[in-house]
Amino acid sequence: MTVTAKIDVKNQDISESIRKLLEDILKTEIIQAILVSQHLPMKKMVMPTLVTDPDHLDGIDPLAPAFPVNAATIAARLTRKPIGEKIAAVLRPCEIRAFIELVKLNQAKRGNIILISVDCPGAFQNKDYLKFAGQNPKEATLRFYKKVMDGNAVEVEGVELATACKACEYPVSENADIQIGLYGMKTDESILVKAQTEAGDHILKQINLSATNEPAARQTAINSLITKRSSFRDEMFLKTTETTNSLEKISSFFASCVNCYNCRVACPVCYCKECVFVTDAFNHDSFQYISWAKKKGIIKMPTDTLFYHLTRLTHMSTACVGCGQCSNACPNDIPIMELFRTIAHVTQKAFDYQAGKSIEQKPPLSIFCKDEFQEVVGIND
Amino acid sequence: MAPKNGKALVVGAGISGIRAALDLAEYGYGVTLIDTSPNIGGILSQLDYQFPTDSCGMCKMLPLFNRDEGSQYCLRKGLFHENIEILLSTDLISVEGEAGQFKATVRQHLNWVDPKLCTGCGYCADVCPVDIPDKFNENIGTHKAVYLPVPHAIPNPYIIDFASCTRCGACIKACPTDAIKLPQDKRNSFHILVVDDELVMRDSLKEWLTEERFSVDMAASGSEALDMLKAKPYDLMLLDIMMPGMDGVEVLQKAKENFADLNVIMMTAYATVETAVEAMKIGAMDYLVKPFDPDALTPMILRIFQDADGAAEDRQIEVGALVLCSGTGFFDPGSGKNPFGYKTYPNVVTSLEFERMISGTGPCQGKLLRPFDGKPVKKAAWIQCVGSRDLQTDADFCTGICCMFAIKEAVIAKKTSDQNIETTIFYMDMRTYGKTFQRYRDQAKNIYGVNFARERIHSVIQDMATGDLLIKSVDVSGNSKEDRFDLLVLAVGQRPAEGMSKLAELAELALNEWGFGKTGPFSLAKTSREGILLGGSLTGHKDIGDLLIQASSAAVNASRFIHSKGGDLSTEHTLYHPPSGVMKEIPKILIVICTCGNRFLQLADSDHIAGQLKADPLIDKVVFSEKLCTDQGLGNLVELVKEITPNRLLIAACLPYVYKLKAKKLGNEIGLDPALIEIVDINTGYSHLLNPNACYEENKTEILDEESSSASTHHLLSIIETGIAKLKWADASETPKVSVCQKTLVVGGGIAGMTAALAIADHGFEVDLVEQSEQLGGNLNWLKRTLDGHSANELLKNTLESVKKHPKINIHTQSEVINSAGEAGNFHTEVKDPQNQIHTIEHGVTILATGGSQAPTQSYCYGTNPAIITQKELEIKLSDNTIDPEKLHSVVMIQCVDSREEPRNYCSRVCCANALKHALCIKDKNPNVSIYILYRDLMAYGFYEAYYTQARKAGIVFIQYSTDDKPLVEIENNELSLSVFEPILGKRLQIETDIVVLATGIVPNISQNLADMFGVSLDQDGFFQQAESKWRPVDSLKEGVFACGLVHSPRNIAETIATAEAAAQRALGIISHKYLTGSRITASVHHSNCALCEQCINACPYGARTVDYDNERIFVNPGICQGCGTCAAVCPNSASVLDGFIKQQMLAIIDVATG
Repeated sequence: MTVTAKIDVKNQDISESIRKLLEDILKTEIIQAILVSQHLPMKKMVMPTLVTDPDHLDGIDPLAPAFPVNAATIAARLTRKPIGEKIAAVLRPCEIRAFIELVKLNQAKRGNIILISVDCPGAFQNKDYLKFAGQNPKEATLRFYKKVMDGNAVEVEGVELATACKACEYPVSENADIQIGLYGMKTDESILVKAQTEAGDHILKQINLSATNEPAARQTAINSLITKRSSFRDEMFLKTTETTNSLEKISSFFASCVNCYNCRVACPVCYCKECVFVTDAFNHDSFQYISWAKKKGIIKMPTDTLFYHLTRLTHMSTACVGCGQCSNACPNDIPIMELFRTIAHVTQKAFDYQAGKSIEQKPPLSIFCKDEFQEVVGIND
Repeated sequence: MAPKNGKALVVGAGISGIRAALDLAEYGYGVTLIDTSPNIGGILSQLDYQFPTDSCGMCKMLPLFNRDEGSQYCLRKGLFHENIEILLSTDLISVEGEAGQFKATVRQHLNWVDPKLCTGCGYCADVCPVDIPDKFNENIGTHKAVYLPVPHAIPNPYIIDFASCTRCGACIKACPTDAIKLPQDKRNSFHILVVDDELVMRDSLKEWLTEERFSVDMAASGSEALDMLKAKPYDLMLLDIMMPGMDGVEVLQKAKENFADLNVIMMTAYATVETAVEAMKIGAMDYLVKPFDPDALTPMILRIFQDADGAAEDRQIEVGALVLCSGTGFFDPGSGKNPFGYKTYPNVVTSLEFERMISGTGPCQGKLLRPFDGKPVKKAAWIQCVGSRDLQTDADFCTGICCMFAIKEAVIAKKTSDQNIETTIFYMDMRTYGKTFQRYRDQAKNIYGVNFARERIHSVIQDMATGDLLIKSVDVSGNSKEDRFDLLVLAVGQRPAEGMSKLAELAELALNEWGFGKTGPFSLAKTSREGILLGGSLTGHKDIGDLLIQASSAAVNASRFIHSKGGDLSTEHTLYHPPSGVMKEIPKILIVICTCGNRFLQLADSDHIAGQLKADPLIDKVVFSEKLCTDQGLGNLVELVKEITPNRLLIAACLPYVYKLKAKKLGNEIGLDPALIEIVDINTGYSHLLNPNACYEENKTEILDEESSSASTHHLLSIIETGIAKLKWADASETPKVSVCQKTLVVGGGIAGMTAALAIADHGFEVDLVEQSEQLGGNLNWLKRTLDGHSANELLKNTLESVKKHPKINIHTQSEVINSAGEAGNFHTEVKDPQNQIHTIEHGVTILATGGSQAPTQSYCYGTNPAIITQKELEIKLSDNTIDPEKLHSVVMIQCVDSREEPRNYCSRVCCANALKHALCIKDKNPNVSIYILYRDLMAYGFYEAYYTQARKAGIVFIQYSTDDKPLVEIENNELSLSVFEPILGKRLQIETDIVVLATGIVPNISQNLADMFGVSLDQDGFFQQAESKWRPVDSLKEGVFACGLVHSPRNIAETIATAEAAAQRALGIISHKYLTGSRITASVHHSNCALCEQCINACPYGARTVDYDNERIFVNPGICQGCGTCAAVCPNSASVLDGFIKQQMLAIIDVATG
């Protein structure tokens, strides 16, 4: 029987309940370190930290609407080579999905990491969060949480959730070893903790927890949230398609791009060691630029802006988990996530693939199916 | 690699000839490949679909290693290999000498279109006024008298049909390259003397020949003929054999005394064919069997006329061995009684005609329409055994392929019509004797809904109003049926090819009683004349996989002769490599544009093009040349390059496939690596630009208007720019290679393993032969003789002796393979010896020959009564006399025990022949015995059919049973009783019998574990899984591992030996080289960019990639990599690159092509 338990919440401080749980987990000594985001001293933003000492968990604020980086990349870095130790990581569902993709791309290993996830209420864009958090970020988190946790609100005090979060239909992780449940719970009294894998179960069994049953209301709440977000998402797809469905439109979509490549750096599944766009592959001969310009009368410089984004779409749309970090990172507010999710939705559907869904589902391009896409390749017709 | 000293001649460039030629060329010999027809590919050039894939896979025959020696594209279009010289429209005229030192004379018939000049533009055909039936499409539709023999071939020079050409000369004017020369018609000065005692014959011959514009005289007797010969010189005499007074042979003798050079064709009735063959020995050129029609006569006369007219070139070549694969002919269903109304009823076609009808490139564009009225075919029937298994047409043989051919055609018909067609196959026995055939048949029935009707057709009548065909048939129980069909497809049987007897005569070959090539004993390739091997359907039709096996077997035996005469002593030489600095130099590109006469100038503004190109500082010079394809054009080019010394060369011409080899030679001559020479095809550009019908007509202007001229200039420019883009980034670094351990491991010491070992060891390479049991020999230790009466004992004795005394073969008996690792060129295998010591054997290739055994059974009460035995036990008991045929009264044999139904749903191929062998043997010793063979479909394929006929004549009773009502064997009180439903009588019969003999079939001897060790797959029945059942029949998907013998598939001894020799030939293709050289187009890895995601490893279809965990690197084996580029497509990091198609090149090409 896998563990499903409740943890009491005192003084509405969910953060403290979770801190206690993490402390207990670290104390089991099954794992030696926890990767978890915390407010660093004197700073408002939460950033990933790697904690080995249970006394150093005070800065956690798991419900804070802050999502500065997708920590899947960091979790990957920690697991890629065997370290002889086992670690845990507290990640958002989209981070876990990105992590699963990285495992399949051989950039991370699943075996020596325990994935812990808290039901995700979503987050603001980075800039918005800093404004919202003010001087007391933990208190701000409580205000945020109270407003959004019923699943109906997408804005708090005039600040809207990031579009990626509004369109996210995965608020609860399927692949976490240990899931901390908030949706459908009376979170003034207690939150849910449950093991979703054998490894998670093994850990939770070492901790003194009071067993409970998952309330039926929880699934209802989750389903209703997913429905809402899905319909937002579909609307977003339509709008994005409308603004990008020709070469002219997509060029204008990316018109303010400055080739800073932040979106690529922020992308958790863009895993290349050295991006081809920073090599000299597109540093053409001087003659080449002139001859292009002569042919067309005018060319945009640099010439590879749109090509860069199209290449990333080609490479990453099958692995895109829609975390929105690309949009978050863009200095010129190009809604990159909207385009990537729109395209990813189509490519993933074409290959009957869902990025981050499961380790067993192989990346589409790495498997060869003799009979697929006959209408495209023209075999046997 | 240069051809070694050893040379071979392969006659016939169908798939068998191609296989043999490629085999010998890959080994390193020089090969001359000739074919009578103007194209390669044989029958397969007409077939778009082959089962079981229902598509074409011919290109899979192309070499996997040293790929740059040949071209790598559609083999139905053309074949180019450095070591193969192809001569088309060429006949073998004579073979003198002996193995190792043959002098062969070949005669190439020249066409009036010079293939070196013809670019295939087709302007000639546009203006040709003559329409003739389209032979490629089996005479469905027409083409002009100047035409492409195969529409898709490359290179594709036009040819002129001499017989129908009117010499109007229109094509000469239309030809932009002056490739056509029409000689004056000298037919009226070609004098023919017709000698026949029958006036009717003389008259009709005179009429036909005069119509063909020849000068004809007639003689009514031999003596008159001799007088006339003295009076006037004649070029040709048509001479009847049976004449009163002086007969034809005597006339021939006397005529030849005085006129040695006189061409004579004998005319003979069927009964005196042998006399005609004799006549050829004393100087006749050929013979015609009466009655014949002008279609048979005219081509023969024309060929002689052209040869006499100097339109042929004789060449003598010295070769070590010959492989004859000149193919077969087909029965003409319109001849004789023509019971199916072929050529009378339009909706009756042959299987080959059907193949062209359903071809997407055929005359009907792949739509199945009734020839009668063009309406869609809704209901089609196939009639099997037309001209096969038919004593009335003197065809006591099975053609061997038609059953599967018909099933495939029915399935393709179903597929292409989206099931909107009803298909029925009328047959006698459905001979699904290949490994996968039975399941294909079941699939055709169960999934595609093809009807199988075991019925005899007794008449076909056309409904004159509708064109429908009324087919009346009788089923096994004698019930008459009648049905209406839109289309009737006749499975026409095989006949010896035209000229077969002539070939046999000149090569001194034995023929079987139906005129097919005869081989053996125990070989599908060896003939009675050393050094001359047979392959292909010349020895009778076979499935493609079997043909290729046979061709490779012929090749390895040819190679043996060449080798044993010191044929391969020449050393391999490496490709020319440029001075190492060239890659660091700034590109200095010379562009040579062929203007193809003045075509280019008509289309494009050459000044503008030159100006545009010259703007690029890397372009050194742009030169226009009139005809680059001519020797002179090429010579000018060489001079130019020597003068300008560019470090890159771009040739804008036509047919890059052809130029590729030319470029290689050119490169060697001018000191430029071929990788730095790029050829672009502007010829296709012309065709796109010009509406061929609008140009080159007298009254049309040839200059395009300004607007289209500018468009075409732009188009041609962008084609040339794609070449520049590629050339700028071309890489001439050395082709990657891996070293090869030139040793072979053969696992299994039965006849297959021993044969393979010998074939390789005879070429001087070391072989380790590992056998699990105490003694070599496998099944031949109990199998004593064959259906055709050869002694397997003798074969075993001789083979054992050769193997044991061979210095290059290391025998390991009582030894077991316990582990193996590695890949093509370098394997390490651990073998445990009888003392349990483990030895590691290093080898470059592996041949699996672990054999097969009789399948165990519990059916039909086997094991409960000593009277119930298996065929193997019967063989043993007949050999050791524990069963005495003379004491038997009755014998029942049950075929297909646990076979041809799930889970063992395959035919074991040998059981029917085995049953016939034992039945005939028992009957021979005791004519009074009653023998009943209970069968489902009697698999007496090929020439085994005659034994089936013989068995029925001998009174052996054949009773067909079906799987839903099998024979019943019961034991009660030790009494054996057997009953079976007899469909003809419609009754259940009780048969008293002394013994019941069960044919349980063959199961393979290989464990999954052993297969895994060598990285090979097993099929669902546990047999070796071939890389491709048709085109790579003995290869596994794991390079360097081959299989033969019973582990490969059930086969008789000769067929098993063929697989062994084929596997040996494939193995020799690898181990004969010190290095496996990849291609300039090979994948590689930029390690600094590699994120080790291993997607490329999963994506590589050839298993060429491995990960080296110690060094954290991806390794590509350049020998195994086939340059497909899948890895480069899957790698987002550009760490995986395909050399020869690197990113910079591709992007630049796309840029100019779309810009």
